[in-house]
Amino acid sequence: MLQFLIRRSATLLLVLFGVSVITFGLMFVTPGDPAETIMRQQMGGQSPSEEAVEEFRQEHGLDDPLPIQYVNWLADVATGDLRESYFQETKVSTMILNRAIPTLELAVAGIVVAVAISIPAGIISAIHQGQPPDYLSQFGALLGISMPNFWLGYLLIIMFSVHLDIFPVAGVGGLDHLVLPALTLGTGMAAIITRLMRSSMLEVLDEEYIQTAHSKGLRERIVVYKHALRNALIPVITIIGLQFGYVLNGAVVIEIVFQRPGLGNLLIQSIFSRDYPVVQGVVLVIGAIFVFTNFAVDITYRFVDPRISFEGGNQ
Amino acid sequence: MRKRLSRRKLLTGIGVGTTTAIAGCASGQDDETASDSSSGGENDTSTATGASESQLADELTVALPTDPTMGVWSVYGGVTPYYTNVLEPLIWVSDEMELVPWLASDWESTGEKSWEFTIRDGVTFHNGETLTAEHVVWSFETILNEWSYAPGWLHIKPENVTALDDRTVEFVTTDVFPTFPGTIAHNMVAVQHPDRSRDDKTVIGTGPYQVANREKGQRVETEAFDDYWNGEVRMQNMTFRVITDPTTRSLALENNEVDVAYAPPSSKIDSLEQNENTSVSTQTSPGAMYVGLHNYKAPTDDVKLRKALNRATSQETLVETILNGIGIPARGPIAKSIYWSGHESLPAYERDVEKASSLVEESSYDGETLNFLINNATPSGRTIASALQEWYSEIGVDVGIEQVEEAAFEDAVRNGDGHLVLESSGSNSGAADYLIYETFHSEGDVNERLYNENETGVYNPGSEVDTIIEEGFQTGDRDQKEQKYEQALQIIMEDEAAVVPLTYQEYVVGSYADVNGLDLRPINEMVRWTSTEHLE
Repeated sequence: MLQFLIRRSATLLLVLFGVSVITFGLMFVTPGDPAETIMRQQMGGQSPSEEAVEEFRQEHGLDDPLPIQYVNWLADVATGDLRESYFQETKVSTMILNRAIPTLELAVAGIVVAVAISIPAGIISAIHQGQPPDYLSQFGALLGISMPNFWLGYLLIIMFSVHLDIFPVAGVGGLDHLVLPALTLGTGMAAIITRLMRSSMLEVLDEEYIQTAHSKGLRERIVVYKHALRNALIPVITIIGLQFGYVLNGAVVIEIVFQRPGLGNLLIQSIFSRDYPVVQGVVLVIGAIFVFTNFAVDITYRFVDPRISFEGGNQ
Repeated sequence: MRKRLSRRKLLTGIGVGTTTAIAGCASGQDDETASDSSSGGENDTSTATGASESQLADELTVALPTDPTMGVWSVYGGVTPYYTNVLEPLIWVSDEMELVPWLASDWESTGEKSWEFTIRDGVTFHNGETLTAEHVVWSFETILNEWSYAPGWLHIKPENVTALDDRTVEFVTTDVFPTFPGTIAHNMVAVQHPDRSRDDKTVIGTGPYQVANREKGQRVETEAFDDYWNGEVRMQNMTFRVITDPTTRSLALENNEVDVAYAPPSSKIDSLEQNENTSVSTQTSPGAMYVGLHNYKAPTDDVKLRKALNRATSQETLVETILNGIGIPARGPIAKSIYWSGHESLPAYERDVEKASSLVEESSYDGETLNFLINNATPSGRTIASALQEWYSEIGVDVGIEQVEEAAFEDAVRNGDGHLVLESSGSNSGAADYLIYETFHSEGDVNERLYNENETGVYNPGSEVDTIIEEGFQTGDRDQKEQKYEQALQIIMEDEAAVVPLTYQEYVVGSYADVNGLDLRPINEMVRWTSTEHLE
């Protein structure tokens, strides 16, 4: 277990280092000068003078060679300082903390919605293979995968807010503000999980021990839910973990459509305004969340399937 | 329904600074009661009903496209001076784009570079203190120190703002800068009390509304300030919410989650008009949209080709079809609402495909693909460019559209990457001179990079126009300025066809049926909420 943790921590650091190098490099090869872009925004679209732009560059060390800039940034991050936003005069760490809550709320709610839809749908689909319920759930899944998030978001707003007046259109607040964004996010994810749940369930139902259980005269319900489900869930848990990436990806669009002040919204704004420290900080945090989620998935495996050990190999 | 608030009058006076031109009283304002409302008539917005207090709702909610609590505003205690009416500048801008005495009751030029401003009597800050010259000095010093670009923008250094006495402030500009008063007639150059706090997030202004509450990244709630110096307000509470996505903003209006929504997407304008619960208002702004043509890069360096492109364009069709009737067909690159735009004297290049085609044949154009740069932040930019691409292909000119992200766009333009560029310009202050200078003078912002590199540029017709623009910029005489700028614009449009004008811009605001007395202004951030009513 200890060895496993050490290995994992090393991987974590390596991944974050890679992510930060790539982000840093990508931002600098992207055309558009942060000094000029940020000042132009601050001046209501007017152009700053060359002197002012030069001063900005010097103040933020943008004149240094790229590797030097990266090493300086890394040194700050190592001491826990994610620096200050170019644009907002606020610490990046503060911004991320403030913005993380709405995103986590959305992520958790989205996953809850996805699981609530997909696990039953997948099971029903598998049990009724080749029958109408199966086709229906397959069609639903296809629809969910094909429909762009932002479009579904607008549709839900038009239906549930403008016409039925049940939920608010935009903003954060009570649970009612969370319903439509969670549905938007959850249905897209549910589609993928449903298909996996179905195929995984079908595979398990073909296993010999399930045939044995059947031949012992156990009731269908017991066979499916006690014996098959637990094993069928293993790959599904992996996917739910990996879907965290999808959550953060979807959050970007959904937070803009529903005006939620989350990390996705912050990331997009910062990329457009070339606010490098914020982009770096947010990407780093998202990278960390990814790695931790995978870690959590591995741990969960251990409990779901005792055949998997931390030392690798089967017992 | 749609309410047009366009100003079709001959407009007067923009930021011309001399003793004779606009000293505060020149606009005929009584010192005691500054008012920036227009003389009414066809231009009035829906008027306030004068409903009794009991008929008014508790609050009016406005959806803005930008976050009113963005960190860049920490200098003002963390709330935007745009739209909110919490903070006020020394000078306001009227519907006719004239300078209106506001926290300064009067000003005059006292030398080549020096200005004296008289601070209005009887103005109270939200914390109960009375406004003095010292507060004004502190406010200017603060933004000049905090915003690195401010000294260059306003042409003053912090040490050159001095209180001569309790009511008089002297500004000495770094160079001769006749448009100083117009330049500081800007929301961002606001007066605040030194007790404002970044950390406790306290905003202390002089406006009709004061900040009551805020949720970062979400909303700012304000309440009426009882001791406001300039008249009564109708609504006791105003809330400003940020909804960045235009479609969501207009859906929030349809759902009456907000009462007023700025800049709905053009695709939603018709449905907001047809919906009996909502309406849209349009207001001309001091902005213009045009296609900038690279005057120094083959083949658009050939004036015949530039004239051909002008001849192939129909501004009227563009406005009526693609822009849903929003905007006014343009003849030049400067909005008609700016008095020296020269609109009446500029040539109207009527669309004439035959003439345009023969001009192309006479020109040096040889079938190459012209690069058309679009800023991806320009609303409907792609659609407009596609329409032009179609018109230009009819006259045998091949255009390829390149959509560039906002941060990279300005850089690409200054590098001369485009043969054609979809440009939109506008002014947020009472001084619009920079619009012509930065675009058409060789040392203006757009052209100076290439001009310094190899004495070319992008849209600048050359030294003759440079001289005329300089003369217009430096003169304090209104008529002379008008004459000079018109002369420059005639060369730009008639002789050189340096750009293809498209529209003089209008902006759109949607409102719910129970809102009256919306008071939009050409500079949209200078909207006034004091007369707006939200009925129960």
